[in-house]
Amino acid sequence: MKNPTISGNTIIIPSSHDFLTDVDVFVEGILNGYRIDESVIADIAISVSELVNNAISHGNAMLRDKTVTVTVSKKGDDISITISDQGGGFDPGEIADPLAEENLMKDTGRGFFIVRSLMNDVDIKTTDDGTSITITKSLK
Amino acid sequence: MRLSDREQDGVVILSPKGKIMGGPDASLLHDKLYEYIEQNKKRVVIDLAQVDWMNSTGLGILISGYTTLRNSDGELKLANVTEKIQSLLTITKLVTVFEAYDSIEEAVQSFK
Repeated sequence: MKNPTISGNTIIIPSSHDFLTDVDVFVEGILNGYRIDESVIADIAISVSELVNNAISHGNAMLRDKTVTVTVSKKGDDISITISDQGGGFDPGEIADPLAEENLMKDTGRGFFIVRSLMNDVDIKTTDDGTSITITKSLK
Repeated sequence: MRLSDREQDGVVILSPKGKIMGGPDASLLHDKLYEYIEQNKKRVVIDLAQVDWMNSTGLGILISGYTTLRNSDGELKLANVTEKIQSLLTITKLVTVFEAYDSIEEAVQSFK
């Protein structure tokens, strides 16, 4: 795959940071259609960007023949977005605490913490064949 | 993201505009910042007035620049931090690291 493909509420991109903007435009476009508060859209967009960055860099190890899939859905007052990669999975328990004194000045390692802080729910399904993370933001 | 840069009273002012989310756009800010540092310009203000939002990649660029400058007796300060970015700085505790000012003028004056 060389370019993003879109089908309904799903976008699939090759594993390259060159396509981060494509994902953002796609996701924010759908969210704007739901007439959601701008600040909430920003929280979701930030979280999606974090997880797509992780999927590209850590999940798919920047291999362009692997893809990242992002699907947006709305059920009642909940917006859910699933980000899936084709990597080898990971152990969420191994993510370091970015607030620990020894990590505070590091220039990486905050992404997942930010997602957990901004979203109401983060559901991780990770296997040797890939990771799928669904984030949910309640509009209530 | 777009980026403008200028100097005022010996202080470098970098003004990114848009979203800082990683990829080529984020590299633009990182590369410009380090271009000035390599020119031995050690007093830098990042003007965040026109940044819609940033993620951890953006925060990482700020931290990296801050640390590099501090290690060479320079300083990186923030101006016009928006509510969204302030919130991120707070939850990541980086609010305790950066000096932030309500305007570019105030940030520039703080170096005197």
